[in-house]
Amino acid sequence: MKCLIMHFQGSIVLGTLLLAGCQPPGHTVDIDHALNDYFVGDYSHAAQLLRPAASTTDENFVLNNVRLGSSYLAAYDLDGAEGAFLRAYDVMNSFGVNTGGQSAGAVLISESMKVWKGEPFERAMANFYLGLVYYIRHDYQNARAAFENALFKLRDYADSEDKKEDYRRQDSNFTIAYIMLGKALQRLGEDDLARANFDKAVKLQPSLRAVADYKLNAASNVLLVVDYGHGPQKETTFDNAVVGLTPTPRQAGPIPLPRVKVDGKYYELGGLDRPPVDLLALAQERQWQSIDTIRAIKSAVGTGLIAGGAYEGLRRHRDVGAAAALIGAGILLKASSQADVRDWEMLPRTVFILPLKLLPGAHDITINFPQENYSQSWRNVVAPAEGELTHYVRMTRMTNGEYDFPASLAHTEP
Amino acid sequence: MDSKILNSKFRCLLLGLLGLWAGGCASGPDPKAKNTALDAGNLVEITQKMAQSLAAEPRVQEVIQKEGPLKVVVEPVENHLRAEVLPRGPADAFTARLRVLLSKSAPESFTWIMNRDAFNSLRKKELETPGTHLDLGPSPESIQPRYALYAEFYSLANEDSEHRSSDYLCVYKLTDLQARTILWTDKYELKKVAVKAFLD
Repeated sequence: MKCLIMHFQGSIVLGTLLLAGCQPPGHTVDIDHALNDYFVGDYSHAAQLLRPAASTTDENFVLNNVRLGSSYLAAYDLDGAEGAFLRAYDVMNSFGVNTGGQSAGAVLISESMKVWKGEPFERAMANFYLGLVYYIRHDYQNARAAFENALFKLRDYADSEDKKEDYRRQDSNFTIAYIMLGKALQRLGEDDLARANFDKAVKLQPSLRAVADYKLNAASNVLLVVDYGHGPQKETTFDNAVVGLTPTPRQAGPIPLPRVKVDGKYYELGGLDRPPVDLLALAQERQWQSIDTIRAIKSAVGTGLIAGGAYEGLRRHRDVGAAAALIGAGILLKASSQADVRDWEMLPRTVFILPLKLLPGAHDITINFPQENYSQSWRNVVAPAEGELTHYVRMTRMTNGEYDFPASLAHTEP
Repeated sequence: MDSKILNSKFRCLLLGLLGLWAGGCASGPDPKAKNTALDAGNLVEITQKMAQSLAAEPRVQEVIQKEGPLKVVVEPVENHLRAEVLPRGPADAFTARLRVLLSKSAPESFTWIMNRDAFNSLRKKELETPGTHLDLGPSPESIQPRYALYAEFYSLANEDSEHRSSDYLCVYKLTDLQARTILWTDKYELKKVAVKAFLD
């Protein structure tokens, strides 16, 4: 009886550990408030709430920094955005970031004990935004490097045993990085490389012929980068052990196309309005996921334990208790461990890249998605006579309205 | 199986899990984590070697003998690295430290002039911060440097499922802005490799 009580007490402690882990993964009250602020367009307050979490070096360090970077970028605080994305970039590009305890804890207790480095598409997007910050500042060398790194990361996620065909596909489907890399190279005067990257984007997605047009990009003096919709979110199934990325593009429906008005008149986008990427679709592709790494290892070890238990049970001098324990441990291991549901909630579904050619001077620009009733108007966007002004816009249901273009960005220097 | 043995095994398992929980919880990235970016150690190594090389260059010494201290503007590193961001701070540091080393080792040989971007950045800060009166000295337009010290960093990077490696070529140059000739140049090469670990 005493033994049973001890087991019961132990089970409660063990169960608590297994179920609760350390804390709700990646969320606190402040972070939830910051996410709300972000989606209603109060980016500065979101950044203010995220700053303490982003400076805490815990397992959510990278996640909180990319969240902070998103908030700063939307608030046009480019120094803040650069700093936050750089901190995330440093850890994402580092290896051996998990200590032995974290790795074992992630396998046995809760996957959210490991340092969050994001799914491949999240890492690629972090590099993309870092590159975008440099591009906005006209620091094209660093923009080039960051966009290259976004593409680099994709190659990484092919297994070495993968067939060459899979490799090629992985190498070439993050179209927005190819387009922006082409633009950065074009601004650096590396025309051949710029053309090669534009061509890669078009080869991948022929509908991007207009966005990746060399001449059009060379002539552009206002670049609108428009984040639309919501990116994929992680979800657990009934047993909290399997995680998937939802919604699928079919569940979410087609991406609506933007319309742009300049000084009250519709700007002829002529094919520029095609969505260059669909993160919901990307997230369904195996090479863009790493979520089953731990699960695969646990499954293999669990299978080994079950097999070991079965062998023990079949031996002539068998130990039934040990066999049962091994099989039980194997089953538990396969089913245990809370899935890591942490994700970068601010990611959009797609990023529209709209290179415009406007007369030099101040303009009022309206971007809208008529199907969704999303609309933002920006006053005094100053098109330069030379070079290109980049304007980043985050569109959500709650951010409709009229805004003044930040004067400090009109003459952004590296 | 004996219940005592089971009991002790169960306790061991429990203690093990507790240990993992305590060891793995609320800790950030391992400080021993590695990447292939240039770091503070590389900064010291590269700039020391370059400072020695520049100070020992006979052509530079010859010009100093002839013309007196060289008026040199120091520019940040130009980033030609493959897939490696080099933000403004580190880009400045890789030439600024060289300037500091030369200022100490050969204070009579060089007159250092702030580059235009650094000057404008400081001036902007001064203007933005009320009550501060930072004396920036004469503006860059009023002093014409004769020489420019700058660097170009190149790299070949590769990443696969097991490791990431970068081969760096760091080229430093002291150019005569009037004659458009290179008075001194030297290079530093290094390779950095980071091996992926479990969960990377």
